[in-house]
Amino acid sequence: MNILVVEDEPKAGNYLLNGLQELGYTVSLARDGADGLHLALEHDFDVIVLDVMMPKIDGWEVLRRLRKQADTPVLFLTARDDIADRVKGLELGADDYLIKPFSFAELVARLRTLTRRGPTREEEQLQVEDLQIDVLKRRVTRAGTRITLTNKEFALLHLFATHQGEVLSRSMIASRVWDMNFDSDTNVVDVAVRRLRLKIDDPFTLKLIHSVRGIGYRFDTQP
Amino acid sequence: MSIRTGWRHSLTLRLALVFALLAFVSLTALGVALYRDLERELIRRDDAALVTRIDQLRTFLNDSNTMELIRSKPALFQNMLGNREALLTIGTPGEPPLLVVNPGNLQMPDLPPTPLDHPLNLSDVQHLPTFNGVPFSALAATIDSGDQGKLQVLAARLMTERTAVLASYRLNVYLFASVAAILLALSGYVLVHRGLLPVRRLARHARGIDVGNLNERLDSQGAPRELLPMIDAFNAMLDRLGKGFVQLGQVSTDMAHELRTPINNLLGETQVALQQNRSIEAYQQLLASNVEELERLARMLDNMLFLARTDPSSALSQRQELDAAEEMERMADYFEGLAADAGMHIEARGSGSIWAEPMLLRRAMANLCSNAIKYGAPDTPLQILATPSADGIRLQVRNHGQTIPAEHLPRLFERFYRVDQSRERSTQSNGLGLSIVATIMQLHNGAYSVSSADGVTCFELFFPGRRQGE
Repeated sequence: MNILVVEDEPKAGNYLLNGLQELGYTVSLARDGADGLHLALEHDFDVIVLDVMMPKIDGWEVLRRLRKQADTPVLFLTARDDIADRVKGLELGADDYLIKPFSFAELVARLRTLTRRGPTREEEQLQVEDLQIDVLKRRVTRAGTRITLTNKEFALLHLFATHQGEVLSRSMIASRVWDMNFDSDTNVVDVAVRRLRLKIDDPFTLKLIHSVRGIGYRFDTQP
Repeated sequence: MSIRTGWRHSLTLRLALVFALLAFVSLTALGVALYRDLERELIRRDDAALVTRIDQLRTFLNDSNTMELIRSKPALFQNMLGNREALLTIGTPGEPPLLVVNPGNLQMPDLPPTPLDHPLNLSDVQHLPTFNGVPFSALAATIDSGDQGKLQVLAARLMTERTAVLASYRLNVYLFASVAAILLALSGYVLVHRGLLPVRRLARHARGIDVGNLNERLDSQGAPRELLPMIDAFNAMLDRLGKGFVQLGQVSTDMAHELRTPINNLLGETQVALQQNRSIEAYQQLLASNVEELERLARMLDNMLFLARTDPSSALSQRQELDAAEEMERMADYFEGLAADAGMHIEARGSGSIWAEPMLLRRAMANLCSNAIKYGAPDTPLQILATPSADGIRLQVRNHGQTIPAEHLPRLFERFYRVDQSRERSTQSNGLGLSIVATIMQLHNGAYSVSSADGVTCFELFFPGRRQGE
């Protein structure tokens, strides 16, 4: 995946560059709006991460000019939590937004969603090592043993299995599994993951759900 | 405000002008009425004089000597009439008149004479078109003069005198009315100006009230009764503002204190870690711990911003009809694990629909449920109920646990308010949960309350139903 990051704040630009490169993406970093616009028009990017508040040419202006010539997916970053601001961004043709502060895992998840081309076909059968998930019958077996899950435990496992290898943040899990789109003060997600582990990981040697300290969880065959 | 002062009316000036206008109009109306009476009376008198004159001539000219006298000494008759405004002709129809007294050279009117057998009265007097603005009355009659046969007599008079009297009367009326109007306007101005003195005093006092002396109140002593409601309302407003101000100050202080803990942890842990070289694991642990504290800060920030947002229209415009049973079930699903960890089980029941912004509703309910689990006793149920009523729906979150002392109940929804200051400084709570619930309910024009007795604590939310046109 080829990503352009337009961010004038040096620390933020650096960590976005490093973080995304470490995940194996090709990343270009522009330190101001003019550079960003130039790069965006010269090269072919899969997705653009655009900071809104920049001196001289701000993010809105970059977006406005970019949209005249290209329809590269754009995710904008804003520190202003106004509905008007968000609406403005989406009206100008942005595809998604994140409000600062945001979790890095959340950003990665959003970028993946934006670059996923076309509707993904829902798999009816998922297989991860010896774990089998029958999505239609909502039936889960591991090493031939039938495992009974509650509805939400199943939804959580399904989310993990369809995002194998990705780090999922707690807020993303809460939003996808329970449709709770706000940062809750509770550790509901941790509790739910622990209870899921109890059923699908604890009795077996190979662990599938891994905690990523400070970020969230990863579902993978590799530790 | 000052931009529009230019065309703002002055109450004093307006009242003075209204006084003046009323005085002028009423006095003028009175004057006009009296004038009409006077005019009518004067006309009547003038007409009567004419009638009398003709009557006298009728008697007088019956004598042939008189006729002779007219012919020989017409000057006698001219003198008899006495002034230039009178006109008198005596003559036989078809012949030159016997006598013409017309010192004013007035135009001779041509009137049909009153027949001989008809006694003269006021209605026989003809009011002719005005002559240079002066009314002109005339009366013609046939007279039997014995041997001379029938004569025609015309007596007329130009009413100059009457016009002058009436004109002077009119002038007086307008003069009096104007003087009275001016006097009333002046006295009205002075009275209103004086009457408004207390208002100016209050304004001066109000100008002096600032952040520093918010507990000062407007003095109602000496103020007229009409101003008392305003003074009371203003003082009540000051009460509310003062309270809000204290609360706001308290919130800022509390927030600063709340920020201290995570910042202290971040600073301390990081500084200690940097004191010497450590293993990779130690650094990782430190960073993870930092992330935890930072997430806590971010959440607090998020909540503070949420509470500071005061624009209810955007929230209200995104309301939807939500199925109550489904929403209660969602809460039960979300908290299923957490409740099970605490040894509690969730009973969710509901029917009807909730007219609310979905994310705000879920946020409010989630805050109540997580509290209920935090303070619930093991092996007890957590009940989440939705009961529809005629005008909305009542949502209840009920848990079993320690009774909350009554004195804390009214303050539970305040920001950073904690029942037990020492016990609850956990990473999970920031003291804003219930105030967020309160804000959400205010945004929905709803209501919230809490009761706690005999080990059962019940938080209750009321969402008004969808009204027509919403």
